[in-house]
Amino acid sequence: MRERWREMMMTRLTWALSGAFVIMGLGLMASVLVGSWPILMAPHSLGRLLSPLWDPLQGQWGILPFIVGSSVVTLLALCLAVPFALASAISVSRMLPPVVRPHATRVLAALTAIPSVVFGWWGLQMVVPVVRNLGGGSGFSLLAAAIVLAVMLWPTLSFLFAEALQSVSPSYVDASLALGATPDQTLVRILIPCAMPQLINAFLVAVARGLGETMAVQMVIGGQVAMPQGLLSPGATLTTQLLTDAALYPPGTRGHAALDVMALALVAAMAILVRISARWRVGT
Amino acid sequence: MAPNIRTESLTVSYRRTVVLRQISLEAVGGEVLALIGPSGCGKSTFLRALNRLVEETPGAHVTGRVFLGEMNIYSSAVDVTELRRRVGMVFQAPNPFPFSIFDNVAYGPRLRGVSDAAELRRIVERSLQEAALWDEVRGKLRRPALTLSGGQQQRLCIARALAVRPEVLLLDEPTAALDPVSTEKIEELVSNLRGRYTIVMVTHNLRQAARVSDRTAFFDDGSLVEVGLTRQIFTAPRDPRTEQYLTGRYFP
Repeated sequence: MRERWREMMMTRLTWALSGAFVIMGLGLMASVLVGSWPILMAPHSLGRLLSPLWDPLQGQWGILPFIVGSSVVTLLALCLAVPFALASAISVSRMLPPVVRPHATRVLAALTAIPSVVFGWWGLQMVVPVVRNLGGGSGFSLLAAAIVLAVMLWPTLSFLFAEALQSVSPSYVDASLALGATPDQTLVRILIPCAMPQLINAFLVAVARGLGETMAVQMVIGGQVAMPQGLLSPGATLTTQLLTDAALYPPGTRGHAALDVMALALVAAMAILVRISARWRVGT
Repeated sequence: MAPNIRTESLTVSYRRTVVLRQISLEAVGGEVLALIGPSGCGKSTFLRALNRLVEETPGAHVTGRVFLGEMNIYSSAVDVTELRRRVGMVFQAPNPFPFSIFDNVAYGPRLRGVSDAAELRRIVERSLQEAALWDEVRGKLRRPALTLSGGQQQRLCIARALAVRPEVLLLDEPTAALDPVSTEKIEELVSNLRGRYTIVMVTHNLRQAARVSDRTAFFDDGSLVEVGLTRQIFTAPRDPRTEQYLTGRYFP
């Protein structure tokens, strides 16, 4: 009797806790949606939102500069990080002596745990001055942010890429080598194509991390709300603007609603990434 | 004319464990040589030593010599890629690549730079015919290879190996994962390929060895116990261990 009672309580507890998770998620969505309602429902809302003008004093809440900032920084960071990460992943999973491989993988995993503020701090000392000296301006720029973000994504991407390559059945590698393929041919013709779904998922994880990264980017991007005029000009992203303005606008104000819209945009972007990722589910 | 393949004092070890000891054995050109023996006796390693695939295993160390025709395949002048073209291999579990049927068979020729579509089509058709799979897959060459049945997949792997025109075929328990009907088809295929290729086949199925091979070699614990004409091995083995193994009374 007591056994049964305990079992029933366990079941209920599990349901309750996982239910709380669902409620919290829905609650988050609802609060962001409700918060952004005044702006979304205003006349010409989309046109005003997507305007390049963010000027709180004039009542202009265009978030286009931040969308551009987020997209450019993330895209550029990935363009920089992917080749390096792929090379690291190939070294770790195929080229290093087999005895060293597990240790190298562990080092990669450890690197992924470095807090992003450390990368920002490093970028402040190393990247910003270099960009200033080579490109002029203050050095605080989209380019500096992209470089810092790329370095930050490098270990994560390498680790996930290496996992993807290691997931390919060794029997494919055997078959390829037995047909007289060189290790390079096997890599390009078998390993990478066979690991493609996992590689793409790894890439999407990196996109999500890049879009969501706040601290490291904020420390080097310059925090300017005007539309960036080039890679060397300072800017802001959806996340950094949310961070810097969070304490500025009390709930109920237009500014607060605008920040809610930005949060909503980030959630929507993540939802889209998850959809794409599901399409590349392993084994389809 | 299919070449002989001959080992002289072939020894293979992984790190400190010796898995093959001083094997001197010859597969006669155009014949089928069956390798039998308890699990873990080194048969598969022996096979993988014949195309130097054993070297891909970390820590593997090979001594002794292996001759393909007159060429010592472990000499430093040998191009491993070309060696593996001449010595094809089929594995225990069917392992077609997750590509189309066509791309599986065309994989080897493409590695060697064949890119002409008509030429590739000709090679693919010829190889599939030789592997007795053509009639079942014609008109479906663009389908994923993994949609084929297990037995068809294994014949596809044989076709893939044949597409690079090898002279020797190494078969590592090619029917271990197959049902009896598919097994019979593979055995029939091996009988048809005999003469054109030198075939070395590892098998745990003694009847299979008796049915398809010309010669049989019995391995035990990394050593070659005895080799001879299959009829002789199965009817009058010289070594008592062979007789015990063949009659199911051998417990190593």
